[in-house]
Amino acid sequence: MSIQLIRQAFSGDRPPPKMWRSHELKEQYDVVIIGGGAHGLACAYYLAKEHGITNVAVLEKSYIGAGGSGRNTAIIRSNYLTPEGVRFYDESVKLYEQLSAELNFNVMFSQRGHLTLAHTDGGVNTMRRRAEVNQIEGVNSRLIFPDEIKSLCPYLDVSDHPRYPILAALYHPPGGIIRHDAVVWGYAHQADVRGIHIHQNTAVTGIEVQDGKATGVETTRGCIKTGTVLNATAGWASTITTMVGLQLPLITIPLQACVTEPLKPFLDVVVVSGSLHVYISQTDRGELVMGASVDPFSSYSMAGSLTFLEGIAGHVLELFPSLSHVRILRQWAGICEMPPDYSPIMGFTPVDGFLIDVGWGTYGFKASPIAGKTLAELIATGKTPTLIAPFRLSRFEENNLVGEKGAAAVGH
Amino acid sequence: MRTEQDTLTIMPNRLQAKQGEVIDRSTTIRFTFDGREYSAHPGDTVASALTAAGVKVLSRSFKYHRPRGLLCCAGHCPNCLVQIGDEPNVRACTRPVEAGMEVQAQNVWPSLKRDLLSLTELGSRFMPVGFYYKTFIRPQKLWPLYEHTLRHAAGLGEAHIDTPPGEFDKQYLHTDVVVAGGGPAGISAALTAAEAGAQVLLFDENPTLGGHLRFTIPLESPSSTEVSKDSPELLEAVNQQPNITVFTDTSVLGWYQDNWLCAVKGTRLLKIRTKSMVVATGAYEMPLIFDNNDLPGVMLGGAVQRLVHLFGVLPGKQVVIVTANEDGWDLAADLHSLGVNVAAIVDEREPNACASPYRDGLVNAGVPVFYRHIILEAIGSSAVRGVMIARLDEHSKISRVTTQSLQCDLIVTSIGWTPATELAYMAGGKSEYNSDRAEILPVSTPPGIYVVGRAAGIHVVDSQITEAQQAGSNAAAFAGFGEFDEAAAQSPGVIEPRRTSDRVCVPGNKKRFVCYCEDVTDQDVETAIAEGYDSIELLKRYSTISMGPCQGAMCSMNTIHLCARANGSTVQETGTTTARPPITPVTLGALAGQNMEPVQITPIHQWHLDHSADMMVAGLWLRPNHYGNPVAEALCVRNRVGLIDVSPLGKLQLTGPGVPELLERIYINQWRNLRAGRVRYGVMCNDEGVVLNDGVCAHLRDDTWYMTTTSTGATTVFEWLQWWLQSGWGEGVHLTDLTDNYSAFNVAGPQSRAVLEKLTDRNLANKAFPYMRIRSARIAGVLCRLLRIGFTGELSYEVHCPSGYAVHVWEALMDAGREFGIAPFGVEAQRILRLEKGHIIVGQDTDAMSDPLSANMAWAVKLDKPDFLGKPSLMRIFAEGPKQLLVGFKMVEPDVVPAEGLQIVVPEMDGQLEIIGWVTSSRFSPTLEEVIGLCWLPTEIASQNGTSFSIRMDGHIAEARVHHGAFYDPDGERLRM
Repeated sequence: MSIQLIRQAFSGDRPPPKMWRSHELKEQYDVVIIGGGAHGLACAYYLAKEHGITNVAVLEKSYIGAGGSGRNTAIIRSNYLTPEGVRFYDESVKLYEQLSAELNFNVMFSQRGHLTLAHTDGGVNTMRRRAEVNQIEGVNSRLIFPDEIKSLCPYLDVSDHPRYPILAALYHPPGGIIRHDAVVWGYAHQADVRGIHIHQNTAVTGIEVQDGKATGVETTRGCIKTGTVLNATAGWASTITTMVGLQLPLITIPLQACVTEPLKPFLDVVVVSGSLHVYISQTDRGELVMGASVDPFSSYSMAGSLTFLEGIAGHVLELFPSLSHVRILRQWAGICEMPPDYSPIMGFTPVDGFLIDVGWGTYGFKASPIAGKTLAELIATGKTPTLIAPFRLSRFEENNLVGEKGAAAVGH
Repeated sequence: MRTEQDTLTIMPNRLQAKQGEVIDRSTTIRFTFDGREYSAHPGDTVASALTAAGVKVLSRSFKYHRPRGLLCCAGHCPNCLVQIGDEPNVRACTRPVEAGMEVQAQNVWPSLKRDLLSLTELGSRFMPVGFYYKTFIRPQKLWPLYEHTLRHAAGLGEAHIDTPPGEFDKQYLHTDVVVAGGGPAGISAALTAAEAGAQVLLFDENPTLGGHLRFTIPLESPSSTEVSKDSPELLEAVNQQPNITVFTDTSVLGWYQDNWLCAVKGTRLLKIRTKSMVVATGAYEMPLIFDNNDLPGVMLGGAVQRLVHLFGVLPGKQVVIVTANEDGWDLAADLHSLGVNVAAIVDEREPNACASPYRDGLVNAGVPVFYRHIILEAIGSSAVRGVMIARLDEHSKISRVTTQSLQCDLIVTSIGWTPATELAYMAGGKSEYNSDRAEILPVSTPPGIYVVGRAAGIHVVDSQITEAQQAGSNAAAFAGFGEFDEAAAQSPGVIEPRRTSDRVCVPGNKKRFVCYCEDVTDQDVETAIAEGYDSIELLKRYSTISMGPCQGAMCSMNTIHLCARANGSTVQETGTTTARPPITPVTLGALAGQNMEPVQITPIHQWHLDHSADMMVAGLWLRPNHYGNPVAEALCVRNRVGLIDVSPLGKLQLTGPGVPELLERIYINQWRNLRAGRVRYGVMCNDEGVVLNDGVCAHLRDDTWYMTTTSTGATTVFEWLQWWLQSGWGEGVHLTDLTDNYSAFNVAGPQSRAVLEKLTDRNLANKAFPYMRIRSARIAGVLCRLLRIGFTGELSYEVHCPSGYAVHVWEALMDAGREFGIAPFGVEAQRILRLEKGHIIVGQDTDAMSDPLSANMAWAVKLDKPDFLGKPSLMRIFAEGPKQLLVGFKMVEPDVVPAEGLQIVVPEMDGQLEIIGWVTSSRFSPTLEEVIGLCWLPTEIASQNGTSFSIRMDGHIAEARVHHGAFYDPDGERLRM
């Protein structure tokens, strides 16, 4: 029982402390972070905590966590395909493991294990390849076979009847799920405590650039002078980079998800099938959260489609045939911006003082702490940390892509 | 024979039979609830039967496990969720009871009556909203234990592991007008639209049409109209109208782009394309928030009316009605006329504000009325025993000194409505808060979408009908039938006598629930807002309000009021959360329908099985992996002749003058110069210059081309081509997928020509039919396409024949080959053979990063072509040079086969391993008697033939050496024999 709760229990009519406050927009900030999601808020927090930079504004056009941070399926893992990707996400998992204590806010990271199923011998090879890369990089992953899969997840149909037989799986014990909104709120609170201004309902309308250098940000609530702007807007990143005249190799695609009514716990692990375009987990509240691959067309629409619901229902029943009476409660969509190699784009741009944390496709939330931390270091020191150097924008010109499609496309 | 008296003992709350009820009293069926047997009549719902038997508690709440009873009786709230057999979370109030049904309470331990989990409420002081974010943080080690406990306390029904899959299907419907909701407004709109000539689909979630007319006294407006308000007459008119198709027991789940609607009727999903839509989905009755407002025996007015009129069930003997408008008086009159003891009417208004026509009658009959009074608390522990009420002073403040208690066993609240307008909002409709009515009402809808009846805030039946007729007429006109009724656009709005109360919450000192699904109280809402979760969206996410099974039907309007009040802002400023499908929860089974992804088998499938084939999944297909001995099969191809079923190959026919241009753009290599009768190997790349697919394409004649793709990539390539054809490259090209129409076999091996010659007149001599040519030929009497190509490295022919003749041709080939020692071979032998030859498999040897330069296909890239997919990327890649290469290797030790996917490593100083490449293919080669493979390596290592490198295998290191060129017949002489 936390002191906080005990105090709240006997506080009578006194209101509980505010998690974050509202502020007037100042004329000048040292750093302006565009995007009040998990990435932007994490970066603000680490700027303050680790580098003492607190004259920072986080601008959010809606409420904090309104974008991808509150729309993803909350899966955390590091079983990627490239050594660069594995190292980066492994650091993220390590930060997530300590995050509740770090933020004094329970983000409910549940490391219940993550299974990526292989339905063909080609799929088995890919899983073996990932397991090998993971092990060499010190990440706990291994190839397991139907008997062990069944013991980890009894409801999965591992018989040889279904259309997509389960031949093997990549088992990644540190993987799991988290309460995504809590990550946003925890970072927001700790950033606020350290004096950072979080401005909700404040949309960016323009970015001032003079002599190739970013000098200010125009918003719906007025103009701000600053020398450092970080674009951390995920699905809307290209609408912001356009303001400084940059074109990035990104396409904008909706990604959909849905949730069922609560059920008593029966699914302990996260189950992913790339062939079936589905990933499924059961929240602590008992709901099944499910998602698929990105929509086939580019769009900013968050309406969601019937095709998605029908597809995912069929695919979930392929894996879990006993769930046909379980009811879908709601569906939603988020917006992703996808680079060609399915790896993020982080760091400097040709515009001095305009930094990017974009291209987060379908794998952004799970990188929030490490992205925030490394970008804070980059802002504070002016040097790109080794961990994110492979994700620099110039890699596209250099033909040094970090190919994560095999592990990121449906691998949430 | 059961007597009337018996029925009363087992169903003590059953009223005398009367007109309009939906139960069949001549029959009694039995079912169980929580192990106890109960009786019901056909037509009863599970909840009506249990209420008839006097059962008050149907479930326990999510967090505190408080007893909960029937609240809305309309399938909206979570209070009657039960498990029925294998089906979790069934709404007992709408599920018809069946003989022998086994109904269980959910999430209770050990039983519904004595649920020990209700002890959690003792600690509720320490469990305010979002408590779980603030505790269980340290020590971190204990979190998994806490989580385990939390998880097992949460959840509702159970998914049983042995639940059979069930049978579900789908129906596609196309119509002019959809009317969602079959109450008086919906029926009237449907009738008008149908009379104009439009085809109308009329949906209602209840078993019969009629909406609230089935169980309420129709509400008269002061001005009389000639329109019939009589439900049976409206129903008769619908039956007479051939243009209307009625779907009862059908919930419309959502609106999607381009008027694409989805509905569900039992196990069937309906997918409907309509030109226009009338939303007549009624309204949700709003609960009132007061102390113990969740006590079993506190019900909404509509629930009591449904129970009384549809099922002949009275849920209490002494009724107190709490209201703020005429709805409560209607209910009182209704109950009084049935002889029910109305213990009091508690109306927050002044006496002169009440315009109910039933007022004098009720007062004269001695029904106690408390004007300017409000409910404070429901008294009781697991069921209502009484009610506390108090007077409102001149400032509308509660005067606590006037508090008095009344005895009763049923409290009915009837304070107003939340219009059910989700469909209109999904379609892009806009809403505004109407402060006079205290309702959020639709103010604009997109063209072709109309909102009528209670969903539009209209409660007077006459007005419902006239406005709905206008909407129906306009919906028909929008679909092309008749003229628009302009009057509708300028309708001045009907004077509504009804007003929803905006006093949604009465403060007190016990628990007052806003959200029944998640056990969120008004105190929780205030706390959350004070903590900073002050926008409606943050409030929803933090408190989980409206995220439970009711999806906000019961709580969203009350939450908006509370949020506005706490922030000191208006309801309009506070706004609503987004309406998302499905409006009613829908089963995975119904959404999935029948399995439309059958296992794909070739026409030769049975033959394979009869010849002891070991089948494997390859893409969407089942293919023979081998017939017992893959090594022997491979050697048979090398030495004699073999036959493989390659029917899963993608086969696309392209016709038209635009084909050469399309091929030039789609493939990286050259096509214009390919003469008729010739075949060329082709490679496709995406914009990033990554290899997508490979295969051969033949120029059959003139404008006709025949493309094959990899088996696993067949669908992808077809969709890829469709994409480009529809994106501007379709001029003069017609694309047909012949994958299933043609079957394909490869006759491979030095004797393959001899085998084929026995079956065809076509001259197969090397000169007449050289390597990489296509010919039409009759094989065993069947006109086939014969391609002289091969994957195995031997002389071989691919026979493409119409699938209807496939078995005949296959068997003819096997018969003809017998004298040459022919044997069928499977995928495994083919993989060995192609690896010996050094042929790559796109998708196995390449991944999402592999460009043709590094995948050893630089020769195919024609950068001098004007444009093709991937050219800009490939130009850069060619300028930079490859960073890594796909290259062959041989293992140093002869009997070690590294598994595909293993990593190639270099030990670093610190004992760590650095990854420099990986193994994509590996086999023991029976021809070479060596272990061979393909792998990716850095260019500097790969480009030196014979360089040795290390593969990490099960923790140790195995040595291999780079091998350039094909392992077998590097000059390709055997192909050209």
